[in-house]
Amino acid sequence: MDRRIRQLAEQLDAHQISRREFLRATAAITGGSTVGLGVMTRMAHAQGPKLRVWLFKSYVTAGNDILAKQVEAWAAERKVQIEFDWATFGDREQKFVASIEAGNPPDIAEMNYQGPMRYRPALRDVTKLVKDLAAARGGLLPFAERVSQIGGQYSGIPRLVFGNGLHIRKDLVAEKGLKMPKVYDPDVVEIAKKCQDPAKELWGFGQTLNRSDDGNGFMQNILWDWGGGTWDKDGKPALATTYLKQNLEAVQFAVDTIQKHKIQPPGVMSWTDVHNNEAYMAGKLVCTNNGASLFYAMGAKKHPLYDKTQVILTPGGPAGAFVASNSYNWGIFKATKHAELCEDLVRWVEDEKRFEEYMKACSGQAGPVYKARADHPYWKSDPNYEGMLQNILRGVWIGYPGPITPAAIEVQAQYILCDMAGRIVVGGLSPEAALKEAHKRVEDIHRIRSRA
Amino acid sequence: MAVPAARVGLHPAATGGPVGLRRVFGPDHRMGYLFVMPIALLVLSLVAYPFCYAIYLSMTHKLVGLPPVFVGFENYVRLTWDGFFQRAVVNSFVFTFSSVGFKLVLGVVMALVLTAPIRWRSFWTGVLLIPWVAPTVVSALNFLWIFDGSLGVLNYLLVRVLHVLPQGIGWLSEPGTAMASVVAVNIWRGFPFFGISFLAGMRAIPAELYEAAAVDGASVLQRFRHVTLPGIRNIMIIVVLLSTIWTFNDFQIVYILTKGGPGGTTMVMPVLTYETAFGAQRLGEAIAVALYLLPALAVTIMVLARYMRKGRKR
Repeated sequence: MDRRIRQLAEQLDAHQISRREFLRATAAITGGSTVGLGVMTRMAHAQGPKLRVWLFKSYVTAGNDILAKQVEAWAAERKVQIEFDWATFGDREQKFVASIEAGNPPDIAEMNYQGPMRYRPALRDVTKLVKDLAAARGGLLPFAERVSQIGGQYSGIPRLVFGNGLHIRKDLVAEKGLKMPKVYDPDVVEIAKKCQDPAKELWGFGQTLNRSDDGNGFMQNILWDWGGGTWDKDGKPALATTYLKQNLEAVQFAVDTIQKHKIQPPGVMSWTDVHNNEAYMAGKLVCTNNGASLFYAMGAKKHPLYDKTQVILTPGGPAGAFVASNSYNWGIFKATKHAELCEDLVRWVEDEKRFEEYMKACSGQAGPVYKARADHPYWKSDPNYEGMLQNILRGVWIGYPGPITPAAIEVQAQYILCDMAGRIVVGGLSPEAALKEAHKRVEDIHRIRSRA
Repeated sequence: MAVPAARVGLHPAATGGPVGLRRVFGPDHRMGYLFVMPIALLVLSLVAYPFCYAIYLSMTHKLVGLPPVFVGFENYVRLTWDGFFQRAVVNSFVFTFSSVGFKLVLGVVMALVLTAPIRWRSFWTGVLLIPWVAPTVVSALNFLWIFDGSLGVLNYLLVRVLHVLPQGIGWLSEPGTAMASVVAVNIWRGFPFFGISFLAGMRAIPAELYEAAAVDGASVLQRFRHVTLPGIRNIMIIVVLLSTIWTFNDFQIVYILTKGGPGGTTMVMPVLTYETAFGAQRLGEAIAVALYLLPALAVTIMVLARYMRKGRKR
């Protein structure tokens, strides 16, 4: 409570002033404070425009620091005040939803592949900027072209795609005289079985099917690997219709890694995105699929497994090897009063020199979305980066072989494929019943999103 | 027939009108309205309006960044036939009632132990309160580590130290243990509240009642049943009701430990609401999920309260 109001209250209690005098005086004090705040706000405005910038806090902390410094350097150069906020894997979407619904989104934000599609109604059309940037960099890679636009209108400015791959213990593979795997079945299964030693708590393969980005990615990839998928070429649900046979085989394989082959550690069905990183770094896994953050973490900590690890192309299945390359993007919100400054900021951080500095600090996480960036010698400087790059270049998009749609994004966001696997492994459903159950949920999402 | 106020001895001021109000509420009654108004506005704007708006939104198709489209009861009808939602409802009741049941029993045991003449009673009271005092997020994250299948403390103890199991168990990932594990954490977190409340109730029971019962030849069990339980019944009603509401709305433990997985095995209503709002980003439907069981929960609580009060009258 304000000191003056407290004194007045004490005087009122002591009957030194009347209630009317008390009310009059408190009104004067609070009114004065309000006017004072208004003056201070105007003074702040006089110091230059203020930009609210939301960046993504990834596990690759060196990259986060460099990007923040670049934004700060831009702000100093342009005499702009910056209000930073960081979104993490855990609270990213919540923050966007809350701010958009409150009518108070940031001016500009870094968002994942879901952002341009999901927050499209709140985002500015940035087609011209994307085309300018892409033209100067040899054009966008095919997956990036798909992710951030609908009908030629871009809602997001692609920035990077996370490098990823199968992180595998090359020392153990060499010890057994085996070759690096190209497909899951039989290659990964064979390596896992031969290299694992459950008595020493060393497991052949660490891949959760639980509700997580890791689980989502794996389930989506193997459906494609076996010739199936969630969506058909026209973007219609196909889990238990067009691709039922292929999907059944793929799902059966995923379940078999736990129940039949027994190459996964106990508790893998409860893992979240960090568990496989922890288990791998604790020396309890022969191989695991992950983004470059695992490789970065081992390098940054000078972990003994860093030199014993090879990052290779994500294995495939009978129909080929597929991965989703999901770009991270800049989004400029319609509500901003400083759209030109936001575009200027994007041009600044996407400058090739600055991006190079960022990319080199990211240990393979800052994969290319532009064709010219894919040719950078950095990607040939380490065989592990080469694997990550090739994974990115052959990447497809969520919704493949159909278009990327809000419904396809929501299926990912709701972990429908992970729930499907969970219903078999934990719920005891048959793969066919689980596929049909998941298909119904996908149809529901498709119907609701189509209406919107 | 109407009787004039004067004939029944009433002052005109007491029959209503400005003079009557002044007499009842005092000369400053207008100022009273002024003082009540802020809290009334606060309640209306922060409780009544959001609640009514939530009911409206639950009857809309509301996606992020787009205006709501009124769809009547469509969201509720869709949820009624949705298998995933149905499992979440069942899970919520299993989670709530099994947790509250165990907490009730453990709470009574804790209170009985702490009323007994034991050494360092204050110390043990403090120790037993730790789960209640510790932030839920911290506790849940610790249990996430304890339950971890390959790096967890529990499996380490059971496999390596005690040699009870040949191989670790996926506590949060197997059909028989996933729900039991989240329930166990909720019990661990909540039973001290029961215990400390019952302890306060037990200390208020006059010692003479126990002495009289002992003189009448009542055994320990009979004294517990006929003296202790009736003595703490009122507190029990309140504590069970509060805990039922809190447990039903418990989000943190389930979300941190399993996110409702695997395969929806531990999906409960608060987590489903959150997932529908921020995962699916269907805000109207999310609010429908949250409101769906409100009437049922209210009825359950009323029945529970009535049943326990009936016991008290007996």
